[in-house]
Amino acid sequence: MTLTTNAPSRLPDAHGFLDRVIGELRAVQSPQKDTLVAVLQYLSDHIRVTRSEICALRSDTSNQQLFGSSADELEEIVTETARAANRIMDAAEAVEKVAATLDAAPAAALTDAVTNIYEASSFQDITGQRITKVVRALQAMENKLATLVGAFGPPESDEAPVAAAPEGDARLLNGPQLDKNASRQTDIDALFESLG
Amino acid sequence: MTLNKNMRVFIVDDYTTMLRILRNLLRQLDLNNVEEANDGDSAYHMMVKSPPDLIISDWNMAPVTGLELLRKVRADAKLKHIPFIMVTAESKTENVIIAKQAGVSNYIVKPFNAETLRAKIASVCGVTA
Repeated sequence: MTLTTNAPSRLPDAHGFLDRVIGELRAVQSPQKDTLVAVLQYLSDHIRVTRSEICALRSDTSNQQLFGSSADELEEIVTETARAANRIMDAAEAVEKVAATLDAAPAAALTDAVTNIYEASSFQDITGQRITKVVRALQAMENKLATLVGAFGPPESDEAPVAAAPEGDARLLNGPQLDKNASRQTDIDALFESLG
Repeated sequence: MTLNKNMRVFIVDDYTTMLRILRNLLRQLDLNNVEEANDGDSAYHMMVKSPPDLIISDWNMAPVTGLELLRKVRADAKLKHIPFIMVTAESKTENVIIAKQAGVSNYIVKPFNAETLRAKIASVCGVTA
């Protein structure tokens, strides 16, 4: 047997190697071989199915379209919400100008309402940052999928590059936190004060 | 003491919507002398030419972030004395500590309200809130 001398050096070679090992084991005269052959055959079949499914991704352009389309849709949401926020503020600014011509009490009431509109309009900034994070995640998944498909294709590389964790100031750019994790202004103030 | 209505405020954010919100809220505080930029790099070059009295900046911008802008401002002899308020969705403890170490004057977490903005401006300008 030559089981250790022809070990596969690339992922696409692994399946063929396993099949060769199974073939050699079948020729061995040993009562214990049947169990081992069965296990290896099971592994071989699973590798074949997995490889077949992943290789199918290579010729299926719909995946690229899916990711690209999703990212485009999300970016469109950012654009649309910006447009909506600006229209809301157009209206609020018009109300504010009218308020300036009114008596003090109604003017103050309208101005307070307009202030609330300005504050609420910041939703566009927050949602925009969240959507940008999702777009980046989609792009990262797309890249990883491409790497996986490449690994099962013509031998180029059998190792998907590991995305480097952000370092330095880049690690500080996380965007808005989920509401359950986010610090409140009072938390920030307390922390800020504690820093002297 | 009240806010100096003539002070020049420089606002920096890559979202034009947020710039407009800030400009409107500042106008309600009678602060109408406002300049703006969409990123830290152009903001810095504009400030060097004409230093403002107060800087209000977002953090998460490209290519020059608000933190980098803050460091450049604090390293510039002409600008280092200017109050700098960070207005950002980056609310992790680490962010606040690093901004403080870099010399930020105060820190507002988004979304914020008009009263918080007024109070922080008053605070960094040495005006009784």
